[in-house]
Amino acid sequence: MTFICLLLAVFCGLVVGPTSIGTSRIFGSLFAHLGIGHSTLDTMQTTIVWQLRAPRLVLGLLAGAMLAVAGGTYQGVFRNPLADPYLLGVAAGAGLGATFAIMDVGHAISTPTWTPLIAFAGAMLAVGCTWLIGGRGMSSNASTLVLAGVAVAALLTSAQTFLQQQASANSIARVYIWLLGSLASASWSSVNLALPYVLVCITICVLCGQALDVMSVGEDEARSLGLPVRRVRTLVIVASSLGTAAIVSVVGLIGFVGIIVPHIVRLVVGTSYRRILPISVVVGAAFLVFADTIARTAVSPSELPLGVITALVGAPVFVLVLSLRRIQQ
Amino acid sequence: MSAIDIKNLTVKAGAKTLINDVTLSIEAGTWLTIIGPNGAGKTSLVETVAGIRKIDAGSIAITGQDIGGLSERERARLVALVPQNPFVPSGMSVRDYVALGRTAYHGMMRAPSAGDRAIVDSVIERLSLQEFAKRNVATLSGGERQRMVLARTLAQSTMVVVLDEPITGLDLRHQMDLLELLKKEVADCGLTVLATLHDLTLAGQFADRLVLLDKSQVVLDGPARDVIRNAELASRYGMQLRVVDVDGADVVVPVRS
Repeated sequence: MTFICLLLAVFCGLVVGPTSIGTSRIFGSLFAHLGIGHSTLDTMQTTIVWQLRAPRLVLGLLAGAMLAVAGGTYQGVFRNPLADPYLLGVAAGAGLGATFAIMDVGHAISTPTWTPLIAFAGAMLAVGCTWLIGGRGMSSNASTLVLAGVAVAALLTSAQTFLQQQASANSIARVYIWLLGSLASASWSSVNLALPYVLVCITICVLCGQALDVMSVGEDEARSLGLPVRRVRTLVIVASSLGTAAIVSVVGLIGFVGIIVPHIVRLVVGTSYRRILPISVVVGAAFLVFADTIARTAVSPSELPLGVITALVGAPVFVLVLSLRRIQQ
Repeated sequence: MSAIDIKNLTVKAGAKTLINDVTLSIEAGTWLTIIGPNGAGKTSLVETVAGIRKIDAGSIAITGQDIGGLSERERARLVALVPQNPFVPSGMSVRDYVALGRTAYHGMMRAPSAGDRAIVDSVIERLSLQEFAKRNVATLSGGERQRMVLARTLAQSTMVVVLDEPITGLDLRHQMDLLELLKKEVADCGLTVLATLHDLTLAGQFADRLVLLDKSQVVLDGPARDVIRNAELASRYGMQLRVVDVDGADVVVPVRS
């Protein structure tokens, strides 16, 4: 079922758009890339499919999968159902970095290609600060780390607000668009930037599902059962934060995916992270591509902010699944 | 041979001393229960033996191996813990919960093997939990829940088990059932038990040896009957106690002053 949703999402991502291109011709071109037959698309259509829709689709899949698995992982490691991938300050750090780059502070980094790199650096700096303030994560407990994340996020958000106050109206608008998250500027270079991090981080998170199941009894009990709790916590936090930072730096802040998708999956498949995490990868990827398809077609030729769609679609779906679950019980 | 060898153990939490220079040796295949008033250091002692608390001075050896230098995984293959308030994650099945006891054997990134699952099934059968195996842990009664926690502990396949107030919150029948189950494991499998109990009567009836802990130190140590009948016991609890013989078993009765 989840894989059918994913295939349907891939289909929508490639076929649906303001420019009508026949489905058979798009798939003919796809097979031509695999060495079967030949493409019948003209140059303009080839550009639309392979330079606009395909990288946007791939980036959407990566972003949805990463944010969903990171949210699920954080919920497991912190034993907190409200945890999302931005818990340790990734969003605030990336937001400050992106604002810094978009406003061209110091007039030294003024090219759009710098924005993801500075956002990534900001995100990693924020998580690094959280880690240090929270007692290096290894020696502290999980709640200390969460509190440190809240403090760092508040500090960086206030710095970002201060910077925005100094900005021109044009810069403020660009920062605002970035903060709402979008796949509109997706390209193969942004895919290449995020792909290695995302693949490695998703693999680590999914492999740690069994360890997160053990941690569901609490850190002391998990340790007495033989789990190296601090090592697991460090591994999953580093993997989730790094992957989220890589994604946020190229697509901006897309909310709700990281919190809603793992919860929906949990309601359907149960509480084991061995099942929640791999299924969240697939559902998150499909969900974000569907949301993006709506975002770019609902008010075409302009686009809706992706974060608005993920909340608008995700929240009612979540309520529906919750209600069905209650009826079943 | 000693299954548990505690030498000059000191454990602190900040400036407060929880365990002060305690030395104890527990023979393999025997049951030792620690008794004492609240705040005596009973929980701290069993948690330190289980590796949850840091040792500030002294040493603990389980079946000859110093646990100070062991990894979590190595330690969990030597000693298993039934905590005072085990956290039971709602939504998990009883079988999955018992299977957590195999964590030290299959590693942190692998699911339980067929061998692990066979051990889990055998423990579930031994503790008569088959009819609950697929149930959500949140739906169990107090007695069933504590039996499940004991099953998880036995699934760890250790020769030493430490239990911190395992019968708290259970009615009399379930208290007896749980302790009888444990006694059977000691007799059948040669398990070594280190437990803490507040109920002095049950402590005396099930343990081979009692240790009275007060103010972080060992005050009395000896066969259960000797410790139960020692006048020091009542003075440490700060009250009058009467020991009544009922068909050869000592029953400790508190007396109103």
